[in-house]
Amino acid sequence: MKKKLSLIFSLLAVSTAAFAGSADDVTVSDPYVRQAPPNASASAAFMVLRNTGAGEAKLIGASNTASKVSELHTHINDNGVMRMRQVAEIVIPAHGETRLQPGGFHVMMIGLKAPLNEGETVPFTLNFADGSSKTLTLKVLRMMPAGGMPMSGGGMQHQHGQH
Amino acid sequence: MSERILVAIAAALASLIVGLLLFWHPDPGASSEPASPLPSGGDFTLQSADGPVSLPDYRGRVVLIYFGYTFCPDICPTTLNDIQRALALLSPAEREKVGVLFVSLDPARDTPAHMKTYLAFFDPAWRGVTGTAEQLAEVAKRYGVTYVVQPPHGETSDYVVDHSAETYIVGPAGRLRARMAYGTPPEQIAALVRQYFD
Repeated sequence: MKKKLSLIFSLLAVSTAAFAGSADDVTVSDPYVRQAPPNASASAAFMVLRNTGAGEAKLIGASNTASKVSELHTHINDNGVMRMRQVAEIVIPAHGETRLQPGGFHVMMIGLKAPLNEGETVPFTLNFADGSSKTLTLKVLRMMPAGGMPMSGGGMQHQHGQH
Repeated sequence: MSERILVAIAAALASLIVGLLLFWHPDPGASSEPASPLPSGGDFTLQSADGPVSLPDYRGRVVLIYFGYTFCPDICPTTLNDIQRALALLSPAEREKVGVLFVSLDPARDTPAHMKTYLAFFDPAWRGVTGTAEQLAEVAKRYGVTYVVQPPHGETSDYVVDHSAETYIVGPAGRLRARMAYGTPPEQIAALVRQYFD
């Protein structure tokens, strides 16, 4: 039984390595879904994306189970007027990081299927331009001050080389 | 004789310096406020789930006014959260002297009942108000609020509203006293509110 399990794990490791791409180069820290008021129709997910690779990585989409639609958005602060706009991609520079945080880049979760409760988890998939994707589990956290990060890390992550 | 005058002048100067040291507090929030002069502001009456709400209802209290919409996933809840944190820094007696009004610029989706449930997540005492497009445009203009309803995009019929993200502070006499930029830290919001109590 133990042998079988270790065989499965080593096969999984090989499959991940075989699809090495942005999903492997990009690590995610402090991911969380903001707890919205119970009747809110939208919320947002935030995280820090770090690219350990030598080439730039591009996040081009996301999906999650808690909302009907996931869109990549940013905010343009135009003299105090906040203009929220969908973006086609979020670039994570080589050996750099990009923050998805309040007031800036975020994954907008549109059409929440049920109220988000603190402590719940939401499975998320991040899709990169090279076809690789990454699956994460995000915790729902109560809101933080502007520009702030949650006190505790948002959850676990594991990678897939799916196409 | 002239010596007496000199002593009197010296005493007057000394008391002026001491007075300045004791009572002159430079505005701690000045850096967070835009350099442009404050808009005229003024009274208005808009609809809440519990009937009409008029700004004069809040005379004697400091009122924080935010113009936004509940479909807003980030800027509005972030600001409401900052206000919530700021008020938590005040004493219960001080908190009683503060009112919060959320003015929805999206009356097509934000019914007063919807806003009441939404705001109760932050504080049941906060009032969500809205009005006709004309009423909102008139109030927004007086408070220097810019907003544009964007056309729907993507797979859904949802739309976003570009809007000024400042929070306004109205003093106990009903006069607009300050405009705080998005992201003003809760400590600074609390300090400004205290400054305008009387």
